[in-house]
Amino acid sequence: MLSLVIGALVGLVVVAFILLTGRLAAHMYPAGGSGWRRVLVPVLGSLSTGYLLWRYFPSARGSGIPQTKFALFIDDGRIQFRTVFGKFFCCSASLASGIALGREGPSVQVGAGLASVVGRNLGLDAKQVKALVPAGCAAALAAAFNTPIAAVLFSLEEIMGDLHAAVLGSVVLSAATSWMVLHLVLGDDPLFHVAGYQLVKPAEFGVYAVLGVVGGLGSVSFVKLLLGLRAWFMRLPKSSVWLQPVAGGLTVGIMGYFVPEVMGVGYNYVEKVLNGDIVLKLVVLLAVLKIVATAVCYASGNAGGIFGPSLFIGAMMGAAVGGVAHSLFPQSTAGPGAYALVGMGTAFAGVVRTPLTSVIMIFEITRDYTIIVPLMISNLIAFFISQRLQPEPIYEALAQQEGVHLPNVHSASQTDRIQVRQAMRSGPVVLSPDLLVGTALPMTKGTLDAWPVVGEEGLLGMIRNRDLENASSSGGGDKRLAELFDSPRGHSNAEQLPHVHLDHSLGLALQRMGTSDLNVLPVVSRANVRQLLGIVVLDDILKAYGVGKHE
Amino acid sequence: MTTFALVFLAIAALFAADTYLARMESSESAIEATRLFNEGQAMVARGDNLNAIERIRDALSIQRTNRYYQQSLAEAQLAAGRTADAEVTLRGLLESDPTDGQANLIMGRVLAKEGRFPEAISYFHRAIYGQWGQDVPRNRLRARFELIDLLAQRDSKEDLLAELLPVQDQVPRDLKTRTRMGRLFLRAGSPARAIDIFRGIVKEAPFDADGYAGLGESEFTEGNYPAATRAFESALRMAPADDSVRKKLDLCHELLALDPTLRGLDPAERLNRSRKLIELAGEELSKCVAAGSLNQKAGRVTESNVDLAEEIWQARAKECKSQPAADDPLALVMARLAR
Repeated sequence: MLSLVIGALVGLVVVAFILLTGRLAAHMYPAGGSGWRRVLVPVLGSLSTGYLLWRYFPSARGSGIPQTKFALFIDDGRIQFRTVFGKFFCCSASLASGIALGREGPSVQVGAGLASVVGRNLGLDAKQVKALVPAGCAAALAAAFNTPIAAVLFSLEEIMGDLHAAVLGSVVLSAATSWMVLHLVLGDDPLFHVAGYQLVKPAEFGVYAVLGVVGGLGSVSFVKLLLGLRAWFMRLPKSSVWLQPVAGGLTVGIMGYFVPEVMGVGYNYVEKVLNGDIVLKLVVLLAVLKIVATAVCYASGNAGGIFGPSLFIGAMMGAAVGGVAHSLFPQSTAGPGAYALVGMGTAFAGVVRTPLTSVIMIFEITRDYTIIVPLMISNLIAFFISQRLQPEPIYEALAQQEGVHLPNVHSASQTDRIQVRQAMRSGPVVLSPDLLVGTALPMTKGTLDAWPVVGEEGLLGMIRNRDLENASSSGGGDKRLAELFDSPRGHSNAEQLPHVHLDHSLGLALQRMGTSDLNVLPVVSRANVRQLLGIVVLDDILKAYGVGKHE
Repeated sequence: MTTFALVFLAIAALFAADTYLARMESSESAIEATRLFNEGQAMVARGDNLNAIERIRDALSIQRTNRYYQQSLAEAQLAAGRTADAEVTLRGLLESDPTDGQANLIMGRVLAKEGRFPEAISYFHRAIYGQWGQDVPRNRLRARFELIDLLAQRDSKEDLLAELLPVQDQVPRDLKTRTRMGRLFLRAGSPARAIDIFRGIVKEAPFDADGYAGLGESEFTEGNYPAATRAFESALRMAPADDSVRKKLDLCHELLALDPTLRGLDPAERLNRSRKLIELAGEELSKCVAAGSLNQKAGRVTESNVDLAEEIWQARAKECKSQPAADDPLALVMARLAR
C-alpha cells in the first residue's frame, strides 16, 4: 500500500517538475528571442540557483544519485524535506535557464527524498525507511524517463547494487504506479519517437562494434574531464562555492550563443538526430561541446544530472559514426539515426556503468525492439572499455571526491560473509601526530605491529613499529610522528590510506593487509574516510575464522 | 493518520496542478506547432523544401503523433529528393496504420522516384483500397490515376489497361477527363475503346479539336487511314495552327497515296502502287543493309520479281489472242525463263 502511495506521489511530483521546467523555459526563451538571451539567462540562472544552493540547500547540489546513495547507505535513508524542496525548485530553474544537465538524477533524489520524508513521518524505523528509498527512486525514474522497467532495474543495479534485493516487490509496485500516473496526466507518449530501424546486413555488427569503441572512449573522456574539473573546483576557496556555478552558466551561454542545440537537456535535437536528420559536422561538434558543457556545469556545482547529457552525447557520437559509415557503405548500413539510437545506450553504459539498465532503457524510450542486439554488443564494448580505462564508476568516484566511500557491487556481494564489524576492536589506542618518535617507541612495544595516528582532521594513517624503530636508530628520535608521513596531514589522498569499512568482509581485510604490508588496519566510516571507528588485527581475523591462537 | 491524510491531500492537489499545467502546455504547444507547420507549408509552396523539412520537424517535435504533419514531412522530403528519409518517415506512419491511404500514396510516389516500381505499384494499390478520412471516392480515383500515369510512363500496356477498365465508368463525364481516358486507352493498346470514347466526344462537342485529333490518332492506330484522315482534317479545321495534327494528316495522305489495297482503285493503279512498294522497300532495304547482305536479299527479291513476271506472262498468253513477234526480246526472255 505504501509503495503505491509513494509511487503516485512521486510520479505526480516528477510530472510537476517536468511541466514546471518546461513552462519556465518557455518564459525564459520566448520564440524569436535575441541571441544574447542565451548568454544572459544561463549566467543569471546559475548565479541565482548557485546562491540558493549554497545558502539554503547545500545537499541539493549536483546530480542526486550519489546523494541518494549517501542517504541510503550512510544515513539510514534520511533525506531532509528541505533538500527535496531545494532540489525541485533550484533544479527546475537551473535546467529551464539552459544549463546543460539532465532532469533524471534530480528526479531520483526528489523521489527518494519524498519516500524518506513520508516513511519517517509515518514513524517507520530506519530499516523500513531505507527499504522505501529505492521505491521512491524507481517511481521518479519511471516518470522522468517514461521507462518503468529500466527504472526498476536502475534502482536495483545502481542504487542498491543488487539485482536480487529484497525490496524488488515494492520497487516494481511503485514504478508501475508512477508510470500510470504519468500516463494519466501526460498520455502515452514515449520519450522519443523513432522510426523503425533494423540491421541491414550482418556485416553491420562491425560498425556497431566501432561505435562501442567510440562510445567507450567518449564516455571515459567525459567522466575523466568531469572528475578532473570537479577536483579543480573543490580546491578553490570555500568562499567561492556560491559563485562557482556561474562558470557553468557562462560556458554553456557562450557555447549556446553560437550553437543553441548545446543548451538544456536537448531532447528535441536528439529526436531529430534519431530520425536521421543530421549534419555530420554539427553532430561531431555537439558531441564535443556537450561533453565540455556538461562537465563544467556539473563540476561547478549546478543542480542537474548526467543521465540526459549522456544520452545526448551518445546520440551525437552514434550519429557521427553512423553518418560516416552510411556515406562509405550506403547499401550495407542503416541510416545515422539507427546508430544514434544505439549510441545513446552505449554512452549510458559507458558513463553510468549499468549495461542492463541501458539496454532496457533504450528499448523502453524508443519502443523499438529490432535494434536490441546491436545495442547489446555496442553497450558491452563501451562498458568494458570504460571499466578498463576508468575503473571507478562515476558516482563512486564523485562520492570519493567528497570523502565518502559508497559500497559497490563487490562490497555488496560480501555482506553475507563474516564482516569486519565482527572482528573489530573499538576505541583503540591512537597516537597523536605531535608525539615524538622517541616517546612513542616504548608505548608501542609488545602489543600491536602498527598504530593509528589521529590528529585534529582525523586519521592520518597507520604507523608501524618498525618505522618508529628505523626512525629512532637513524637519529630521528626527536621527530614528530606527523613528519614520518609524506604530508603533514597524513596520506594526502584518502585512497592511499589503507583501510576497511564495517561492512567489508574479513577476506577483503586480509587481502588489504597483504597489499599494504600491515597486520593492523584502521576501520573507517563510509561517510568520512578519516573518521576512525576501530581497528582490525590479523590475529582477530584468524580467530574469527577459527584458526587463530586460543587463550 | 495525519501523515496519510496530508499525503493524499498532496496527491489530490498535485493531480489538479499537473492536469492544469499539462492542459496549458498542450494548448500552447498546439498553437506553436500550428505556427511552425504553417511556416513549413509556406516554404514548400515556395520550393524551399530543405527549410520546410526543418520547420515541419519542429512542429512534429511538439505534436509527434500528428499524422498530417508526418505526411507533410514525407512529402517535403520527397520534394527535396530525400527519398530515403521520406521512406523512413512513412514506414513509421504505416507501421501504426498500414491502411492509411494518403501515407500509402506518398510511399508509392517515393518508391516510384527511387525506381522501385513493383513495390511502388503495390503501395499505390494499398492507397486505392486504403482508408481515407474524407471524400473517399475522389481520393481513391486520384490515387488510381497516379498509378495509371506511372504505368503509362513505363509503357506497361497490360497493367495500364487493367487499371483503366475499372475506372472507365467512374470518371467524371467532363470533356477533359474523357479525352484523357481516350488517350490512355490508346496508350494501353486498346484503340477500339479509344475510338468509342472519342466518337462520343465529337458527337457531343462537334467543335472540339482535341476530340477529333484523338479520334484521328485512334483510327490511325487501328489502321483506318481514311477515317483517320477525315478526323485529322476536321481537327485542323477547328485548330488550323496545330502543326502536329497537320503532320499526321500529311502522313495519312502519303500513306493513302501508297496503299495498293484501298477500295476503288483500278487494277493499273494497284499494279503501279505495288511496283512502287517494291521499289521503295528495296530502297529502304539498301539504306540499312550492308552490301554483301544486300546482294543476297536483292537476289531473293529478283527471284520473286521473275516469278511474278512469269505468272503475268502466262496470264497474257491465256487472255491475249495475238501472239508476240518471234523476235520480241521480252518473248524470248520469257521463253528462256520458262525453259
